[in-house]
This record gives sequence, structure tokens and C-alpha cells, in this order.
Amino acid sequence: MTILDIQGVSKSFGGIKALSNVSFTVDEGSIFGLMGANGAGKTTLFGVIAGQIKPNTGSVAFRKQVITGKRPDQICRIGISRTFQIVRPFAGISVLDNVIVSALYGAAANNTHAEAREAGLAALEAVGLADAASQMAGELTLSGQKRLEIARALATGAELVLLDEVMAGLTPTEIERMVETLSELRHSRNLTFMLVEHVMGALMQLSDRILALDHGVPIAIGTPTEIAENEEVLKVYFG
Amino acid sequence: MKTLSIDLVAGIVLLAAALVLPLTGMDYLVGIAFNLAMWVALTQSWSILSAMTGYVSLGHVVFCGIGAYMVALTTGSLPLAASLGFAGLAAGVSALVIGLPVLRVRGPYFVILTFGLAELVKNVIVQIETGLGQFSRLIFDAPPLNSLYLVMLGLAVAVTVAAVFVRHSKLGRGLIAIRENEEAAEAIGVPVIRLKLIAFVAAAIIPGIVGGVMLLRTSYFEAAQAFDPVISFSIVTMAIVGGSGSARGPILGAFAFVLLSELLWARFPQLYMIILGILLILFILFVPRGLSGLLDRKEARQ
Amino acid sequence: MSAQLLFAALVAGSLYALVALGLNLVYGTLRLLNIAHGDLVMIGAYVSFWMLSLFGLPPVLSIFVAAALCGGFGWVIYVGMFRKLLATPALAQRLEANSLILFYGVSVILQNCVALAFTSTARGYQYLNEVHKFAGIAASGNRLMLFGVALALCLGMLLFLRFHLFGWSLRAVIERRDAAAVVGVDVDRVQMVTICIGFAIAGVAGVLVSMTEQITPFMGFPFTIAAFVVIVLGGLGNIFAGIVAGFALGFIETFGVALTSATYRSILIYGLFVGVLLLRPQGLFGKAIKIR
Repeated sequence: MTILDIQGVSKSFGGIKALSNVSFTVDEGSIFGLMGANGAGKTTLFGVIAGQIKPNTGSVAFRKQVITGKRPDQICRIGISRTFQIVRPFAGISVLDNVIVSALYGAAANNTHAEAREAGLAALEAVGLADAASQMAGELTLSGQKRLEIARALATGAELVLLDEVMAGLTPTEIERMVETLSELRHSRNLTFMLVEHVMGALMQLSDRILALDHGVPIAIGTPTEIAENEEVLKVYFG
Repeated sequence: MKTLSIDLVAGIVLLAAALVLPLTGMDYLVGIAFNLAMWVALTQSWSILSAMTGYVSLGHVVFCGIGAYMVALTTGSLPLAASLGFAGLAAGVSALVIGLPVLRVRGPYFVILTFGLAELVKNVIVQIETGLGQFSRLIFDAPPLNSLYLVMLGLAVAVTVAAVFVRHSKLGRGLIAIRENEEAAEAIGVPVIRLKLIAFVAAAIIPGIVGGVMLLRTSYFEAAQAFDPVISFSIVTMAIVGGSGSARGPILGAFAFVLLSELLWARFPQLYMIILGILLILFILFVPRGLSGLLDRKEARQ
Repeated sequence: MSAQLLFAALVAGSLYALVALGLNLVYGTLRLLNIAHGDLVMIGAYVSFWMLSLFGLPPVLSIFVAAALCGGFGWVIYVGMFRKLLATPALAQRLEANSLILFYGVSVILQNCVALAFTSTARGYQYLNEVHKFAGIAASGNRLMLFGVALALCLGMLLFLRFHLFGWSLRAVIERRDAAAVVGVDVDRVQMVTICIGFAIAGVAGVLVSMTEQITPFMGFPFTIAAFVVIVLGGLGNIFAGIVAGFALGFIETFGVALTSATYRSILIYGLFVGVLLLRPQGLFGKAIKIR
């Protein structure tokens, strides 16, 4: 079943086309990968889905409900959450407090503090940050902060989670752990993920389907194997 | 939890002392306590907006001024309680009206904007008063000091309780998320625009009433005085010196300053301002968590 | 449009352009919002006044004294306050807001120290006040000098930024602080020199102002606000647009006051300030801040 339906989305910034006529659908419970070089429009696409960026044309529908034009907080409460490529922790409060806010305000809308705390702890547990719960978020290592980004996105209770380069800057061991975490979460919580990743191995390993973008133009869509054999993609990537 | 109960005991003792004070009949002391309650109310209300959301206002006096002006205009034709209620309402409504555009402006721009806005309102009201041929308005039959004091004390207690409540509520957590990172807050579902506006309006109502009570105490209204930027400056300094990490910070800050302002503001205003400026700089650079932060650390060590 | 009014607008504009130039340099390179900037103008004005009354030093020479004094003060502030601020992560995180409150403290201290030392009495002196008549304009010598010096400094600064190596590093720091450091610009030195230049320019502006206006300890704040209007109009950190905007403000103010009355001057300036910030927090000519 389709959870996200993107139709003809275009966006330009002062004459530069960041996205041109992008259309695709994402199935519920799948992991959908986005690949492309820097400036290919991946982060812009996340911004469009999560509401930070208004597209010039086109529409985004989540479970058949059109969400284009809604504010980011509204979209989050509908059930989509995202992480940021450049981490944005609530640095001055504890790791646990970071996820509690998320659980209070997100799609799950836990009403009591106790419920939110429980949901928050579960999210920290899922990404392996439970031990750091009482630490200040600003004191975490980069890898810790990347995990916190994910935990915060999970704690909102979102059904669709957009992960923007959560593996960039991690060591190979950490990447391995992250890949494990994500595949496990997908099954245990029945989540749908969209991934932007420069770490090709991880992207190929995790994704059910992949969309390749080149300067905002969709050039190929398919399974990892199809993408790896696609001539267009090979041309763009390997000349 | 332990510090909370210590604070609670300290608060109750303080409140009991404050309530007994008028019975002593020492007007000078009651006058000082009045000022103390006033600064607590102002600084505490400032904290609800500025310490919680990080939208630092240098123009908090504008709400006092609006409140004072409303009381100056309506006293005599309305019962005093209604007049004061009207002052709070007017300040709240002004915040609601200017809130949406003003709160779109971020960070340092917000800080200078609030200052400019307060000065603009001051100048406009000075012009209006000059146009009306009013240079100052006298308030006749203002209530005696003891009753004004009790009202001010009530305001200080009310806003302190509200501040404690907000800090531990869902609203407070949302506001803190906005302070820490507004985009991230919005991305996890915090309705940032609405929350900022709620904080802005909530932070405006109390100073509106405080402004009205201040007016009754001085018993004359002059726009330049009611909108004196020194008041905004004192509020920010008290909050920073007291520490804005908890609801007791503003109380500590007010205590630290009332003595100073008692001794110096009237007689050596320039010296008062210089000391304020120096303390502000020293605390920002060396004690960013303020007096309450120092206490926290001491408690943590014990 | 009368030539006299036009001349008045140009004089006011050149002064605003100069005052804003100093503020803009400091903001552009250090990202510090110096709301004590106008108070440096005030210090410059007092320097000129006392140099003339005590030593008979002509104000045109006081320009150098004021520049040295204010520039030196900039150095003290940078070394004493901002190195510490920049080095403390918790403070640097909200650097702009913190710096603004710090400068607010500096502003209050400067104003009140001067008031304490010299009282709040308005002071003034007569200098070059003979009137020259040309092209339908009656212009006093001091206004001509104000205009000439201000314009020369603005143009000189533009040329310096365009052609001098240090000017290039300065522009590099304004545009991309992190990248500038990577390509070998000594960011710390650029910041220190810029804060000295910015403060010195304010001091010079103060000397120029004192030739034509009365001096009080609290005269600075309107200049701060005017400078903010200018650099918000021109875009924070955008030096050239700031100079253009300075002249624009001179025209708006001069003609605005001519059309209404002098009592509306502060309302006009503050109104413009609030209006500009509300409509375009990133400046009229400035680029929209990219969110990603």
C-alpha cells in the first residue's frame, strides 16, 4: 500500500532548479533510498515532504491526504518526521528531555508526562542511547547526536521517517550498528523509512527501492540491483 | 525534587514575612518590599518569554507603560480594580496584535527590535500627550501604600507560581525546545508560532497590571517616565544576575538589586547605571547561570 | 525640491553612511551587534570639545585623537571581552544575542561615566561656522567639512576593501569566515583590526557631529538606531549597500521632517527602524537567508 505519493514536484532557488518534476510513490513498511551527488536535490526533497520548503509546483500526499502547504509541525503531527543532515540537538537540555518534547508534541501526542517519558525512553533504547539519557545533548559525540536525531524522530510516533545522511561521519563499525538498528526498527515498529545517504553500501543494503537524482532531475528508479545496472546512473556517477 | 521542596519552604517563609510586614507600620520598609515585589513580578514575567524561548526582550517596559497609561486614562471613571484589569487586558491585547509580526524576527534582530518598538511607542505616546496638552497626569485618591503593596505582592506571587507551573508543563517544554533550536522544534511537531505568541501574551499581561499599580504608587503619569528604558534594562540585568534557569532566579536577582536601587537609583542614578552595566557584563562572561546557578552547584556538591 | 534641502539631506546622509559604515564592518566581520556604537560617536564628540576647550586643538586635528582613542577602546573591548566570549562555547552559541547585551552594558557604562564626569549639560562650540554661498545653497564651513570628510572616508574604505590585500581578507571574513580561515586568513587579526577601524570611524563621526550639533552624554543612542536602520536597509554586512542606504536615510529624514515637523523626528526614525525590521529582517538589498 502506498504511504507517500509525490506528483510532479519542482522547486527552484533563484533560477537554479533544485528539483524538476519529481514523481514517485513509497510503499508502506519499505525503505526508500535517495541517491545523487551533492546538490542533486535530496535534502530539498526532504524539506518539501516535511514542510520546511514550499514547492513551486506539484503535490505531496501522505496516506492520500495532500500535505503540500502545511507547516512542518502540522506535517509532523500527521505522521512524518525527519532528521537534519546537520544535527540540530536541543543542546542545553538532557538527552531524555530531547525525546520527551518530541513525544509530547509529535504525532503520538502523549498527553501525560509519564507516557511521554516512556515513549522517549523506548526511542532512546531503540537507537542505543538509553545509557546517555541524563547527559546533556550538547555533550554527545557526533555519532551520539546523529542517533539522537533518529530517536527524536522516532519518539514523535511518526509512521514515515526521513533520515538525512545519518551515517555520514560515522566509523564503519558505527555504520554497521546503524544499519542493524534501522532494519530492526522497520520490522519491530512497522515504520517506513526514506534515506538520503552517501554511504553507498548502506544505501544498497537497506533500500527496497532507490530513486537516483541528478541536478534535481529523476534519472532512474528501481531496486538496488536495477539501479546498479542502470546506464544513466552509471554515466552520471562514473562518467 | 529536593531543591523544589527547599524552595517551597523558603518561598512560604518569605511570603509569610511579606504578609506580616505591613502590620509593623514601617512605611519605609513596606516601600522597599513594594519595589521588591514589583521587580520580582516584572523579571519573572520577562523570564516566561525571554528565558524560556530565548527571544530576549529589551523592551519589556512597553507593557508597563501601556498598563500605566490605561490606568491614567480610566482612573476616576472606572473602579480601580476594573482599571487595573483593563491595564492587563490592554497590555495582553497589544502583545497579541504585535506578536505575530514581531515574533517572526529572530535572534539579535528580535532583541534590537523590542528596544526600538518600546522607544517608538514611548515617542508616539509622548506626542499624543503633547498634542492633548498633557505633560503629566495626576492621579487623585490613589489607595494607601499598604493596599498597593498587597496587590503588588499578589502579582509577584501569581507570576512566580505561573512561572513554576509553565516550566514543568508541556507548554514550557515546547518553549525550551524553541529556544534550543526552532527548526528542530517545529520538525518534531511543536507549533512554534502559537507557542511563542502564548508566551508573549502571557508575559505581557502581568507587567501591564504592574505598570498600573506603579502609577498609583507614584500618582502621576508622564510618558517618558512610564516607558523609561532603564526599567527594561534593570529587568534584563536582574534576570541575568539571578539566573534564568529556574523560577527562583528572578527572585534572587530582584533581591540583589533592590538594595542597590534603593541606595543609588534616586540619589546617584548614574552610579546605579554604571554598577548595573558592570554587573551585567561580569555575569554574562563569568557566571552565565547566575546566582541561582551558583546555588545549584553548591547544592549539588553537598 | 529646493537645493538647500538637498544639501541638508546629503550632509545628513553622509553622516549616517559613515556612522553605519563602522557598525557594519564590526557586524560583518565579528557578527557582533554593537549597540554602544552611537556612544562612541558621543565619545568622539567629547574628545573634540575638550581638545578645543583645554588645548585649543582644532577639531580637524581632533579627528586623529578621537580615532586613536576609540580605536584603542575597540582593542581593549576585543581582547578583554570578545576573546573570552568566543572562547566559551556556551556563550559563543548565542553569540549575537549575548554580544548585544554585553554591548548594552558597555553603552550604559559609557553614557553614565561621561554624565558623571562631565554632567548632563549640553555643550557645544563654534568652529568653521562662516557661511559659503554657491549654487543657491547657503552652507556653513563645518557642514561642508562634515560632508567632505565623511564622503572621503566612505569612498576610501570602499577602495581599501577593493584594492588592499587586508581589505580582501576583511571581505573574505565577512563572506565566509570558516573558508577564510582555511585559505590562510588570520581571522583573529582581521577581527581585531576591524573592530579598531569600526570604533575609530565612530569616533571620527563624533568629531564631525560635534562641529554642528550640541553634545550630551546621551546623544549617542539615536545614532545607534539610525545606523541600525541603515545597515538593515542595506543588508547587514553589505558595506556598499550600507553607504547607499545611509544617504537614503538622510533623504528620508530631511524631507520627512521638512514635510511634518521636527518633533516627529524620533517617531520617523524609530518607525522606519521597526518597519524595516518587520518587513525585511534580512535587509532590503540583502539576500534572503537560506534555510536548509
